[in-house]
Amino acid sequence: MSFAYLGLLLFSLIGLALIDFKFKLAFFFRPKRSAIAIAIPFALFVFWDLAGIASGIFFRGNAEHLVGFELFPEFPIEELFFLGVLCYTTLIITAALGRKK
Amino acid sequence: MNYLELNTIFLGLAAIPALLVLRGRQWVTVAKVLAPMLILTAIFDNLIIATGIVAYDAANISGIKIGVAPIEDFAYAVAAVLLITTIWHWFDRGEK
Repeated sequence: MSFAYLGLLLFSLIGLALIDFKFKLAFFFRPKRSAIAIAIPFALFVFWDLAGIASGIFFRGNAEHLVGFELFPEFPIEELFFLGVLCYTTLIITAALGRKK
Repeated sequence: MNYLELNTIFLGLAAIPALLVLRGRQWVTVAKVLAPMLILTAIFDNLIIATGIVAYDAANISGIKIGVAPIEDFAYAVAAVLLITTIWHWFDRGEK
């Protein structure tokens, strides 16, 4: 059991939130729009992952770096945080580029 | 169903709002967001595969890889960019 992967993901999320806060990009600019922009792709990715797992395409690898708690079979809890990092990173970049000077 | 087929379905779903909403110059924004996201995905994906955090059944993937990352994995990044830029810009519609 290891918090290595989860720790890195949380570190990333905190870092993204700090960038968001410092530059007032997303949640600190338009919170409702940001929440929707995260929630919709996040939901899609959870279903996408579950479909991939159900089809036997991918599965959780060895548990060395994982906490060991699975939300669903082969779906480690860390995956939720990874999908959060994926969506929030995309949002931050989109918001940064979309800013009017 | 293999990974390529699965990803075509979900990426297709993600593309529909983008195709309906985004206009001309906004696709330039999509490209600008996509570039760093593809690079970050390539790095991150290779790391989580190399460390054994995620694994694939070789029978179900195309075999085309960027490092050890199946090319199909990049569909997630493309879908994220398409959906998030679309939603973000959708709230700006009607403004100059």
